[in-house]
Amino acid sequence: MPWYLYLAFKQLFPTKRFPFFTAISVLGVALGVMVLIIVTSVMGGFGYEIRRMIVETEGEVTVKTTTTIDDVPAALREIRASPGVAAASPFVKGPVMLMAAGHPAFPLFRGLEVGSVEDVTKLSRYVSPVGALAKLDDDSVILSAQLVQTLGAHLGDEIEIYSPLLIENLKNDEVFLPRRFRVVGQLYIGHQQLDSSTVYGTLRAAQEIYGLGRNVHGINVRLKPDAPEEAAVAVLNARLPAKLRGYLWMESWADFLWVLNLEKSINFFLLLFIVIIAAFSVMSSLLISVVRKTREIGLLGALGASARQVALCFCAQAFVIGVSGTTLGVAAGFGVLAIRNDLVHGIANLLQREETLRQFYQFSDLPAHTLPRDLILIIVAAIAISTLAGLFPAWRAARLKPVEALRNE
Amino acid sequence: MSESILSARGLAKTYLSGDRRIEVLRGVDLDVAAGESVAIRGESGSGKSTLLNLLAGLDAAEAGRLEWTGMPVTTADATRRRAIFLGMVFQAFYLIPEIDALANVLMASRILRAPGAADRARARDLLARVGLTERSTHLPAQLSGGERQRVAVARALMNTPKLLLADEPTGNLDEHTGDAVIELLLSLCRETGTALVLVTHNIAHAEKTNRQLFLHEGVLR
Repeated sequence: MPWYLYLAFKQLFPTKRFPFFTAISVLGVALGVMVLIIVTSVMGGFGYEIRRMIVETEGEVTVKTTTTIDDVPAALREIRASPGVAAASPFVKGPVMLMAAGHPAFPLFRGLEVGSVEDVTKLSRYVSPVGALAKLDDDSVILSAQLVQTLGAHLGDEIEIYSPLLIENLKNDEVFLPRRFRVVGQLYIGHQQLDSSTVYGTLRAAQEIYGLGRNVHGINVRLKPDAPEEAAVAVLNARLPAKLRGYLWMESWADFLWVLNLEKSINFFLLLFIVIIAAFSVMSSLLISVVRKTREIGLLGALGASARQVALCFCAQAFVIGVSGTTLGVAAGFGVLAIRNDLVHGIANLLQREETLRQFYQFSDLPAHTLPRDLILIIVAAIAISTLAGLFPAWRAARLKPVEALRNE
Repeated sequence: MSESILSARGLAKTYLSGDRRIEVLRGVDLDVAAGESVAIRGESGSGKSTLLNLLAGLDAAEAGRLEWTGMPVTTADATRRRAIFLGMVFQAFYLIPEIDALANVLMASRILRAPGAADRARARDLLARVGLTERSTHLPAQLSGGERQRVAVARALMNTPKLLLADEPTGNLDEHTGDAVIELLLSLCRETGTALVLVTHNIAHAEKTNRQLFLHEGVLR
């Protein structure tokens, strides 16, 4: 080991003495890294959970056209034969007007093919009572949780749905009566946007409301678990007729995901300041070290050390502080993440606000998902910033002339 | 007379004190032969330490020429050559406080290369010769002043230098300990054939060297 690395270690962790200054510097970096890991992982967790929810309710891919898909059996055959595709289920989706006990609402009606929807999605997991999705018929609907709350609807209540075709019919002086449905269940996914105003009915009922005949608006597709998503969609699109195109869930939710990523990036940027402040602490303690060790720096020069080697000794100290702080911070960050739910529930319990937490944040448990890319970014940024903090003290140390340093009182 | 290992010709150095120019050294000439011991005495502020720093290549002279083993010393190569050519002992010991006595001695060779088994053996041997075998794992703070100076002497001899420059090495020690350190320094230099330039105020110590010089008003006689 070169002498400047050896001395850097010895000055940071001296024998038989508690390294007080080192400990403070390391703790500063560790704190910043820990907070970055926790916040980035929780933000990543929200993204991961939302992805899971989208995929579990709509499948990874949606095949759409500019109008409607007319030859549904042919399209389904082609999609199901595509490599990488595990299952497919057609749907009809569009806005309707709803009346329940005199309350109007304008939800989205989603017509599902009951026989195949469970092959693509895991909707039944979010529907209560259990089995309501399988029992859905052309006269019954499932309402999203938010809609149930808005309308004050209950299981077994009758609701009326008006088709948008009503306007066209009125132009021709035709009377178009609303369709009556019975509420048989509610769907609660756990995320505000996904739980927003939606009515789930059968495909046939939706086709009737929209006057589509046997046409559908699109087909939800589930990919095989081992299939790379983007490649599978590319293969699928190559097989489909020109008017049909499969969109990956990320494309369909691009705006929402962009906002989520923006939030994550802003949080990362703001929290990085903790590491930058810690780097100032590293710089300050190293500058103190340069002043305290002026005569030792002079001695090293007298022993034959070059100015570059003296600078490297202090840079190495900043690097070691960065590596130690980052290692400690990563360990502490994952440690806190491991007990995050106990902490959140403990605080909520203590304040007797557990129910409020569930009501407003939708997630009953705090999600966390650490992307390797985020972890690498945090580690590299923390070590780089700490090492940069050592440059100024290193420069000061290198500028000291041995003869003046030895004369220093 | 042996060959000259250190040759200084016309070394001059001036300091500015406010508006005043103080000529500390005015054309100092000095030759030191291999294995020779030379004492330099002078009043406080006479420029003894300045001269020693010039001889060590730690400071640049404004005029004059310095040679180590017949080769001119330049600013560019002084640092690299110093580690091999000379060892230094200071009044304030300057041991590195975070490492033990053995590591302090090894530090001199560590700057040249990663220390091997032979280097460790030599460091232990030098510590034994300065009577500190039992104290090799002690930190400088756990050693007395005399012990610290003996560690510094061992460190100065670690790279088998041709010349040892000692700047008032007994200045921080009591008379008895100081005498012992000088005896040790001289005997080790004799044993190893190392030349010694000793800056001291102490006449008795100076008289133990082969040659005594006096620095007065910037001139060495």
